[in-house]
Amino acid sequence: AMWRALSGALGGARRPLPALCRGLAKPAGPRGARQLREEEEAAPLFQYVGKAARRQDRVFVWGFCYSGALGVPSFVRPDAGWKKPRRVQATPYRLETEEKISSAACGYGFTLLSSSTTDITKVWGMGLNKDSQLGFQRTRRDRTKGYEYVLEPSPIPLPLEKPQQTRVLQVSCGRAHSLILTDSEGVFTMGNNSYGQCGRKVVEDETYSESHLIHQLKEFDSRVVQVVCGQDHSLFRTKKGAVYACGWGADGQTGLGHYNITSVPTKLRGDIAGVNIIQVSSYGDCCLAVSDEGDVFGWGNSEYLQLASVTETTQVNVPRHLPFKIGKIKEAACGGTGNVVLTEEGNVFVWGYGILGKGPNLIETAVPEMIPPSLFGWSDFNPDIRVAHVRCGLSHFAALTNRGELFVWGKNLRGCLGTGRMEDQYFPWRVTVPGEVVDVACGVDHMVSMVKSFT
Amino acid sequence: PAPGDGGATGLVAARVPVLADHPLVRGPRFRRLKLGAGHRLDVKASGVFVLGIGHGNKLLTDLYNCHLTKVYTVGGLFGKATDDFSDMGKLVEKTTFDHITREKLERILAVIQGTNHKALLLHSNIDMKTQEAYELAVKGLIRPMGKSPPIITAIRCLQFTLPEFQLEIHCLHETQQYLRKIVHEIGLELKSSAVCTQVRRIRDGVFTLEDALPRTQWNLQSIQNAIGNCQLRVKREIEKTIG
Repeated sequence: AMWRALSGALGGARRPLPALCRGLAKPAGPRGARQLREEEEAAPLFQYVGKAARRQDRVFVWGFCYSGALGVPSFVRPDAGWKKPRRVQATPYRLETEEKISSAACGYGFTLLSSSTTDITKVWGMGLNKDSQLGFQRTRRDRTKGYEYVLEPSPIPLPLEKPQQTRVLQVSCGRAHSLILTDSEGVFTMGNNSYGQCGRKVVEDETYSESHLIHQLKEFDSRVVQVVCGQDHSLFRTKKGAVYACGWGADGQTGLGHYNITSVPTKLRGDIAGVNIIQVSSYGDCCLAVSDEGDVFGWGNSEYLQLASVTETTQVNVPRHLPFKIGKIKEAACGGTGNVVLTEEGNVFVWGYGILGKGPNLIETAVPEMIPPSLFGWSDFNPDIRVAHVRCGLSHFAALTNRGELFVWGKNLRGCLGTGRMEDQYFPWRVTVPGEVVDVACGVDHMVSMVKSFT
Repeated sequence: PAPGDGGATGLVAARVPVLADHPLVRGPRFRRLKLGAGHRLDVKASGVFVLGIGHGNKLLTDLYNCHLTKVYTVGGLFGKATDDFSDMGKLVEKTTFDHITREKLERILAVIQGTNHKALLLHSNIDMKTQEAYELAVKGLIRPMGKSPPIITAIRCLQFTLPEFQLEIHCLHETQQYLRKIVHEIGLELKSSAVCTQVRRIRDGVFTLEDALPRTQWNLQSIQNAIGNCQLRVKREIEKTIG
């Protein structure tokens, strides 16, 4: 009776209002446009790029890893037990460097990187060091011994008179020697000197491994502005437009009129006497030089028809003018068996032997053949694309466009092309690098590129 | 008036309207129309949409096998990122965008074009080592003639006024959502974020905006004229590609 009385007292008075009673949870309805706008305005704003953001300079490497030339020790000695050593790095891999690298050169199994800084350490080397082509790399365990293989970019100590003022302009690498060009202290040479390619007298039975000797060359007619290493010879171009050479000459690659060894840099004569040369190039046993008027001169090995347009002999030991009617030439690059030139209009011409870049049918030619610009990305949609630089490795070629794209073609020796595949490439193929490629150095089985990031 | 010899009165034919001929009784003349649709177009997108009527449906399959490129104008907006990459979606993040310049955008577009050009050559299933692959690559005629992931053959920036920009994209085998995703990824690459405001197809193979009929011209006469204009082009294109 009491319960009924209570409920009656409560029930009779008032039912609880619907707003006060809690129903089951319902999903939130569609928010109105105003609510969305307010939420959007209240959301936090993220800033990923500040005012001082600049484009970063990066170095990418790819190719054969076991020689250590790529500078990534984990490819040869993995840092975790389950990882396996990597024989070939088929796509571009970023190499962390301490300084901005301004010049790089790939030799036969080793690499040199240099920066134009005024710090003490200006040049780093990695890869093969059996002939001290990377200088003396002291081992950690034994202070008297040196490393045969350098797996990481290691500083190369140079005997500079003013180490905090001199800048290194350019480096170049050959088969077993390297040249370093400075702005005020001449050229430094290291490595194998059995043919006099380091510019000093050949010492019989000299052991080149673990050698501390770095030779300095200063006697030229004017300041040296470019150094180039062939396989076993060296070329120096001076500001006045003269070319000096030293090293092995059995194929006439020194261009001095004889087939002997030269151990002191000597000036070249022949067709380039008195001509202002603006660029020299060599990598194997053939050499090319470009004058300021757009003519190209060649000397050295011609077994692969590189100089067959002027002579039938297979060795040319005096620079000869190559009378090509392809326009004014801006840049030339020499490989082991093939040569490539770039004209002022931006066209690329190839000749020689091997995979030249015009399909599998063109294996050898003595006269330059043009590679169609459409293969470098030129089309009606993009009519402004031009090739800006050409480079040559031993059996492959590289071209850089003005948009910063890198095209490679040739023999894909141990993944040196960087396309991600191991097959040879018979026509120019793009290498996808995450950045704008500024310069590239080609070696025998690896390549190094200097890249600026996009933003 | 009684029938009989001639006179003022005779038989006069009177025409009464027969209800059987009236369109409301007879019904529409075309009751069944075989209508087929060409490449898909999103609800949020607009532009050229190809349809085939009756016997034209067979041509639709042939046109699909020609694998021709489509051209879109894509409008984008920097500064925010949403979950479905369009500006009507749920907001995920807001970022600054005043560091973006037209030059940076064009650099990214050049790289997108380069990587997609590589994909074009790779998916075309031609052996790269043959001389004919070289000749086709020189002429620019290498194209995947089968199924492939979406490929952008050309991309360029038409307008750039921060925070808005407009791109023209030529592509193959794509969906409109893929284009919106590309806009989002461009925003990410520029260290900011972007959403897509507009996707408009301006060309589908041989059909351009001029051939497309707007809503006011969806009647028999205009459709017949449009079909007549495009017939020759479609036939030529099919013959050229398939033979």
